[in-house]
Formats: sequence, C-alpha cells, structure tokens
Amino acid sequence: MFRTSHLLFKLALAALVVVGLFMVYLDARITATFSDKMWELSAKVYARPLELFAGAALTPGDLAYELEVLGYRTVTTPRQPGEVSRNQNRVDLYARGFDFPDEREPQRRVLVEFSGARVKAVSAGGTGIDLMRLDPVQVGGIYPRQGGEDRLLVRLADVPEVFRRGLMAVEDRSFDQHWGFSIGGIARAAFSNLRSGQVVSGGSTITQQLVKNYYLTSERTLVRKLTEVLMAVLLELHYEKDQILESYINEVYLGQDGPRAVHGFALAAQHYFDKPLEQLDLHQQALLIGMIKGPSLYNPERNPQRALERRNVILEVMADQGVIAPEQAAAARAMPLGLNNRGRIRDSFPAFLELVRRQLSRDYREEDLTTRGLSIFTSFDPLLQRQLESSTAAVMEQLDRSGKLQTASVVTRFDTGEVAALVGGRKARYAGFNRALDARRPAGSLLKPAIYLAALERPGQFSLATVLSDTPLTIKAAGAKPWQPQNFDRKSHGDVLLYQALAQSYNLASARLGMQLGVDAVVDMLARLGVEEGVPRLPALLLGAGEYSPVDMATMYQTIAAGGFRMPLRSIRDIVDVNGEPLKRYPLEYERTVGLQAVHLLHFALRAVVHEGTGHGVYNYLPQDFAVAGKTGTTNDGRDSWFAGFSGDLLAVSWIGRDDNGVTGLTGGSGALKVWAHFMSRASKQPLAYRMPDDIQTQWIDDRSGYLTGEGCPNSRILPFITGSEPRQRTDCAPRDSGSGVKDWFESLFGRNG
Amino acid sequence: MALSQLLFRGAVVSLVILLAGCSTYTPPVSVPTPVAKQPEPKVVTPPVKMPQAPPRPTTPSADAALQPLLAKAGQAAQRGDYEQALALLERAQRIGPDSAQVYLGMAQTHRARGDAAQARATAERGLLYCTTDAQCNALRAFTR
Repeated sequence: MFRTSHLLFKLALAALVVVGLFMVYLDARITATFSDKMWELSAKVYARPLELFAGAALTPGDLAYELEVLGYRTVTTPRQPGEVSRNQNRVDLYARGFDFPDEREPQRRVLVEFSGARVKAVSAGGTGIDLMRLDPVQVGGIYPRQGGEDRLLVRLADVPEVFRRGLMAVEDRSFDQHWGFSIGGIARAAFSNLRSGQVVSGGSTITQQLVKNYYLTSERTLVRKLTEVLMAVLLELHYEKDQILESYINEVYLGQDGPRAVHGFALAAQHYFDKPLEQLDLHQQALLIGMIKGPSLYNPERNPQRALERRNVILEVMADQGVIAPEQAAAARAMPLGLNNRGRIRDSFPAFLELVRRQLSRDYREEDLTTRGLSIFTSFDPLLQRQLESSTAAVMEQLDRSGKLQTASVVTRFDTGEVAALVGGRKARYAGFNRALDARRPAGSLLKPAIYLAALERPGQFSLATVLSDTPLTIKAAGAKPWQPQNFDRKSHGDVLLYQALAQSYNLASARLGMQLGVDAVVDMLARLGVEEGVPRLPALLLGAGEYSPVDMATMYQTIAAGGFRMPLRSIRDIVDVNGEPLKRYPLEYERTVGLQAVHLLHFALRAVVHEGTGHGVYNYLPQDFAVAGKTGTTNDGRDSWFAGFSGDLLAVSWIGRDDNGVTGLTGGSGALKVWAHFMSRASKQPLAYRMPDDIQTQWIDDRSGYLTGEGCPNSRILPFITGSEPRQRTDCAPRDSGSGVKDWFESLFGRNG
Repeated sequence: MALSQLLFRGAVVSLVILLAGCSTYTPPVSVPTPVAKQPEPKVVTPPVKMPQAPPRPTTPSADAALQPLLAKAGQAAQRGDYEQALALLERAQRIGPDSAQVYLGMAQTHRARGDAAQARATAERGLLYCTTDAQCNALRAFTR
C-alpha cells in the first residue's frame, strides 16, 4: 500500500517534472522567437512614377493606361484616393500619394488637362501645380524562388478601429479579458454556431490561433491542442494584448497568389482590393475578416458567391455586437465584392524583373532581398513597355506566323542610362529564357561603329571623306586558315568614302579599315564603349564575331548616343528599407571614354545609314523629318537580325533569331529594323537634335572623290569635319548657286535657304 | 577651410538660382530669395560656334517644373546634403533631359563634394545642351 502510493507519488512527481521542463522549453521557445520575430518580407519592385507637369509629353490615353495599371477606379466624381474621372482632354483624379525616398507626395485631387499629345496644365482646386508624381506601379516582388510567405507589415495603430473590433467580434470576443484560452469563448462559439445553423467561428482564441500559425503544425491531436493552450497562456504572460493582436493581424494567412502565400491583412487588402488597409470600405473589411476561417473556401476570386454570403454573415455579427449600426450593415450588404478591377500587372514583366534581380545580386544577398522588406525603385516605364510589347507582337506576327523566330529588345533613356523597357522573348509576359540578357550571339555589322570610331579618333589620318577601298582581301593569321570576307551582295564597290562604307555596311572596306587600325584598336574601342566580354581578339571581330546579348549592344550604343560618355546601364534608382530609410542610391555617373568630336562624326554616319544606307527602311515607319540614327546587323546566312539606334530621347536595340541558331532569312533591315522602327515611331517623342560641338566645321565635298568642292558643284554635299582634318585636295569647280534648291537631309538640318 | 567651404556652397546655390532666373519662362511661383550674390562667372572663351544652326525643335519647355527642383537641390547642396541634391537633380534631368541648367547644377554639386572628375564629365556633357553664352561659359569653366 505504502509502496504503491509511494510509486504513484514518484510517478506524479516525474510527470510534473516532465511537464515543468516542457513548459520551460516552450517558454524559452516563445521568448526567444516572439519578441524579435523576423517577419519575412519580400522586396517590392516599383516602376518609375509618372511625372505630371505642364508640357509633359503624354497623351490622355497614356495617363488612362497608367491609372488603369495602378488600379484607379473610374467614377463620375472622384471623392477618395484612387478614383478618377475622364472626360476627353481632362482627367480628374484623386491621387493616392506616396512616400518616395526623397519626400512624400501628398494625396490630393488634381485636374490634368491635355492639349494634343502634351499636358497643358495640372491644377488642384484651381491652383496650378508645377510638378507632381503619381504613386508608382508595383511591378513585382522578389520572393524566395520556391515561393513562400509574403506580407506587408501594418502597425496596430494604423488598423481602423471598426476593423479591429469587427475582428474580435468574429474571432475572439473575450480577447481583452482572457488568459490565452477561453472556456466562455468556446461555449459562445458553439452557441452562435448552433443559432445561425452554420459554423461562424471556431472556439480558438486569437492567441491560440497565433500560436498555432507560428509554432505548430496543423495536425489535430490532443497533445498538440494542449501544447497550443499552454503556449497561448505563456504568450499572454509575457506579452501585451496589443503586441499579440498586432502579430496576429500580420500573421494570418489569407490566400494564395501564384507561388506566394498572402499573409496579413495589409497585404490581403492590397492583393484583393488594391488599397491600403486603412482605406478599405466596411464591406471590404468584412470580407477579409470572413476569409480567416477558410482562405480558399471563401476566396472572392474563385468562389465569389460563397465569399459574398460569408461577408454578409460577418456584417450581421458586427451589427449584433454593436460594432456597427444595423443601417451600416444593411448598406454594406448591398455592395458588390468590390475587388480590384485591373488586369494582373504584378509579376507580368519577368524579363525586366530578372534584370533588376541581377543588378541587385551584385550588392545584396538573395536572402536579404526576399526577407527584409526592401522597396526597390526602378526605371521601368509601363507605357514604353506596353508599346514595346505591342510593336514586337505586331511585327513578329507579320514576319513569322509559324512562331519559330524569337526576338528580344532593350529600350533605354540614353541621357541617364536608365533601362525603361525590356522584352526577353516573343511571349513577353512569360518567364523563361531571357534573350535580352542571356542570348549570346554574333553581332554582325552592329560592331562596325567601333572600327569607324577608332578611325575617326585619328583626325590626322581619317575623316568622313577619307577614301576607302572596298575590294577583296585575304587575311592571314597565324594558325588559322586565311579569311576572305565578302560583301552582302557579293560584289566589291571600289573606292568609297568612309561614311558611305558604314552607311552601306560594306564588309570589305570595313575589314580593310579595321586591319589598318589593328584588331587591338577595335577591341580597345569596344571596351571603351562598354563591351568587354565575349570579344574575340581576331580579325573576324571586325565583322561582328563574338558573343553578345542585346543588353551588351544597348550598352555600346548607349555610349555612342550619349556622345562618348560611358555609363553603366541602370535599372535601379533607389533602395529603401522596411522603415522607409534610404539604403542605397544608384547615382548617375558619366565617364568620358571617347572624344566628343569623333562621336559626332559617327552620329553623322549613323544618320546616313537610315537616310541613304541599309537602314532606310525606318522611314517606312517614321516621318521623314523625324531624325534618328542607327545601324543594321546581319550575321551569316541571316541567323541573326539586329538593329540598334536612337532618337532624341530613346535608344533601342532589337534582335531577331532562332534559339536553335537556324537560318531566319532576314537581314537586319528586313527583320529587327521593323520592330525598332515600329516601336520608335509610336514611343519616341523627340527627334535627334543636331548639336555641333566645338572644333567641328562643315565643308562642301565631292561625294565621288572626297575632294573639297564648291556649293552647287556636281556631286557636292556638305559633311562635318574635325577642324584641321578637311581634305587637302580640291576639285576645280567654283561655288555656284545651286539652281535646284534641293537640300539633302544633312543640309536641311541647318535650315539653309537654297 | 570651413569658411571657404561655406562661401563655395553659397556660390553654388546662388549660381543655380541665378541661372534659374535666366530661363525664358517665368514660373508662376516665387523663386526663393538668393542666399548670397555672385556676379556672372567671368570666363573668356570664344563664342560657341554653331554656324547657321537653326533654333532647336520647339518642344514645350519643362522649365516651370524644373525650377522648384533646382531650388530644392540648391538648398540641399547648401546644407551639405549632396546626395539629396544629386537625387533631385537627377529627377530634374529626367523631366528636362536637355536642360543645360540641370547639368550645370550637377557639375557644381559634384565639385562641391570634391569629385572634380565627375564635375568635369557632367559639364562636358552639358555643353551639348547649352543655348546661351552664359550657360556655355559656366559649363566650360568646369572642363578646364
């Protein structure tokens, strides 16, 4: 007897010790993790904000698209942030405002008036606004590759009172009083379930639910349930009610968005309604509260009817509990679900996001990007992207119905070196092989400007009027078989002026020029233009051998377009941490790598390409007086079709080819040029201006001999020269009045009178 | 050292504001009063040679939008917050990419923070966009 009771006592003691140790363990687990629980917050990637000011080159249609992408709702009269009304040339909108890295853009109602393709005036309440910006489109996030949790953090102080009380009315009425679990709550839940004839709420307190989500698996066993209760009590002992509620509001799971799990009410508000939690209407608040019980069962996108019924039950409970007045509940019940109406814009630009990711990976660890809640402000321009995608689709459809051809394009603003739009394949909206970044192709004649620039940098030897010989040649290199380049038309063209050789993309003249300068000089020039990888130090480089991506070519032409200033292509402007503190800025930096005068002469030759050379097809798309410059590129048997060029505001590089490196049957001019010109004719707002730098002057030249000649003489045309590099020889023709009055494209840049 | 730095910052700001005053468009809002005064930089250079060049394509000016940004950039530079000044100037550049005034502001800010190479490169680039002798001379002064 004594023995058994003794044994029982021992057992009880042992059990107590075990439970005690278990509680110590649980307690340690809670205190170690809860107070500094690292929420995993994905990085948010934003497009450039649209700047609004009088004189901005923007059409009402552009603004309408931007607002649509931003999820602004069209109404008769905008009364709250995120609403817009449009009437012909007037757009009346209630801007949401945004905390930019530099300053806050306020919420305000503004009127934007248009005149043609420009903003005429921006005003608020009759007062003019010099400059404002819309909130930026969130184009994506950087989530863990395998998918995972995502949330937006919200502070309890920012959660609307009605929402908070509604949440407690539905999920945990005695939250403010209980110790972590509630017998009364369980009883009440059972009663209200019984009364309404359906399960309105489970008996778990908010604390229990939090513990469950936080620490425990979803298995339903007694031990797990007891652990849950114990931990809930411990949590309540250690932490304030407000801390627990705030954690719950940020933790709760509310549905799936592709691979990422939507956690917390703030992200759910953005995801389902495109609004911050603070701005939700009552019926929207009720819907989110109702979704806790079954995020997929009551998913308003998949099961709208069930979600609506559930929402209305919640509204009823809120009215019963005195959170809202019965009339408010009745009004909210009459509302539709009120989901966002935009086409899914987020994560539909995988190619650009990949570029952003690569640039980030130089400065940040993958883990930081997917967990620290960074805001990444990029140069992505949704309006240019839309045009690039539609131009790509239109031209590709016309060129190749079979779908075998692939394409990629890059668009930058060359004044700042910012990438504005990117297409990485024919299906622009699908992630996959990103040809803009990862294609490795020979560039054909796209590299030729490097040869000509290297020559024009030596004004003592070369000018645009230097006579080159476009005749067959054989290049012998040690250890390689002799190389005999050919012209595209398999002919030789005899003596040609330097600018003509580039405009007509003559291979023989170009190879001769390159050999005269030396392959090393061309490799060096490519490096100064920003192309350093994949460049073979071989004669074949002169005609474009090597491995280059469209982004590489954009870097090269960017330097040319910017006047010889190399700048890294940038896609990121600023990075801000989760508290809105600036972390990093990617500043604009110019590096002068090529002489301004030589680049100026190259610009002339690249203008000649589109006016009288292989790129003349661009003027099937562009108006004749819209000045641009560019270069075609074609590789062996038309395996690659390239075009690179720029106007006054944009630079674009397009490529067409096959993933299996097969023959396309296209040249640069019959393929990529069309994508480029189709895009430019619709997207570029400014023609290339003519700005003559110091130490450049123009001369009349005989176009056949390259001699100086007189105005109005046979074959005369005007060319720019670096001072001192003009031809020495002169024709014996005296200047005369040119009777015809016909000016060539270059002459007309000067606005000369006959 | 400190005094000369202060004077230099003052000069930077006044130059920005001064050039802002040169623009053809008068913004409807009042431009902040200059903090310090400085005469136009006296740089003797041959006039820009732009023979027979016609007026540039007439794009409506973004001047009214630029002025508040330039003024704020000037203030930031005066505080010694060059990062903020450059961020504002870059925003200005995106709005008015062919404004020589913006390039000048950038060049001045780069110099103030001690980056002569960047000041020079920026000014050289800005020379492509200057339209008045005063602007061109001010930019050219950085390239020597």
